[in-house]
Amino acid sequence: MKHFFANKKKPLKIASYILFCLLAVAASVGTLHAAGSIEPMGISPITFFILLLIGCTFIGIFAVLAGVGGGVIFTPIFMGFTPIDSYIIRSTGLFVAMAGALVAARPFLRRGIANMRLLFTGAVPYTVFAVLGALLAGYIEHAMGAGGEAFIRGALGIIVIGIGCLFIFFGGRAEYPDVEHMDNFTSKLNLPVPYFEASLGKVIHYKLTRAHWGLLLFCGVGLISGLFGLGAGWAMVPVFNMVMMAPLKVAATCSKVMISLGDTAAVWPYIVGGGMFPLFAVPSMIGLIIGTLIGARIMLKVKAGFIRWIIIVVMIGAGIRLITKAIAMM
Amino acid sequence: MEDRDETKALLSGIIYGDCAYYIALAGMVVSLVGIIIYFFGVNQYFDANVMINHLMAGEDADTIWKEATEGEVLYGHWYLGKMAFSDAISMLGIGICCCAAVVGAWGSVIGMILNKEKPYLFLVFALIIAVILICSAAGLISLH
Repeated sequence: MKHFFANKKKPLKIASYILFCLLAVAASVGTLHAAGSIEPMGISPITFFILLLIGCTFIGIFAVLAGVGGGVIFTPIFMGFTPIDSYIIRSTGLFVAMAGALVAARPFLRRGIANMRLLFTGAVPYTVFAVLGALLAGYIEHAMGAGGEAFIRGALGIIVIGIGCLFIFFGGRAEYPDVEHMDNFTSKLNLPVPYFEASLGKVIHYKLTRAHWGLLLFCGVGLISGLFGLGAGWAMVPVFNMVMMAPLKVAATCSKVMISLGDTAAVWPYIVGGGMFPLFAVPSMIGLIIGTLIGARIMLKVKAGFIRWIIIVVMIGAGIRLITKAIAMM
Repeated sequence: MEDRDETKALLSGIIYGDCAYYIALAGMVVSLVGIIIYFFGVNQYFDANVMINHLMAGEDADTIWKEATEGEVLYGHWYLGKMAFSDAISMLGIGICCCAAVVGAWGSVIGMILNKEKPYLFLVFALIIAVILICSAAGLISLH
């Protein structure tokens, strides 16, 4: 069984990429073909689809170049700069973050870089609180009306500005943090699993610490992710790397897999609550994934340090806009 | 070499990664096919123009449902009963994509049991997550 899963299926992978691209092209051609038969009252479905696809492709490209997930930029930008209802945006934001993480997680798990022990341990509080956050979002949407919408936008504005500051002041992370003392709780959990670092050509053995703080922080990260429809890589990587002292590569790969688990649990209450519309969700998802693929290729060729600053400015701008919108709604 | 052996990927991880990847891709393809059919104007459950106008007017999800469909708000897995509609096919694709981690998590649990991965504490954690995911996907964790 292990052998079956371990076999490389490169032709299948290439075929799936080609099929995906062909379908994306067909969707665009289909929209253009259908253009004649649709009489737009405002913005036409064709324009809507294409604008969304292009916009999300750019978000995906910039996100990769800035070293963050698309989900964390998608939600603040759409909530700050479009009139679309926040519940629908948050639902779609969770979906695109989840879809990106599902596709990206596979190679890390195959190479054994993502630590299954660490990520399942962290995923329990993250998943539970992401679901609670999603339920709270549904309650606020249905019970609190405009006041709830103002609260969500205002709180997200503050969080997004906080994320921008996190990028500015805590951007430097240790690739291999040095752990001098392992506490009892962490050592009893026996979380570390060594991995082979291809760039160094050796096996990396590492230690972890402060797991209790990590688990507590994942509760908060999960709640924020579920409630605001944000991808959570921006918070998870620092928790793994700076609090629990995991190597940066382990932190980044574990966060991807955890997002795919936690956001799946959180997205279903939104879907069941009627907050997901294919016409909005599908082009957003395709755009972000295409953008991520393009961004990953561009990243190999250009120095993208300045992109990080553009993203910080956009995030802080979106945060200010969200807060002003919230004040106007109150 | 022995040192390198201990870094081999765990079966539970490989199963999760593969299940999640291929099911998510399958879901994306189905959702794309649904959207293509939708744009050709075949059996639309949501009126595209009405929906976009209300979406861009900042209306909430319930209002969009009422205005863009036959006036009813369908909670839960509404698309399963409307498979003749192109947008329901697209929504089914989204649903399949969102089931990828559910199947992956259960596959991971089975992989841990088959491979007798120790310590068993992590099997318990994986099982908790798998149960939460399936309850969530089944609509049991919901306000509706």
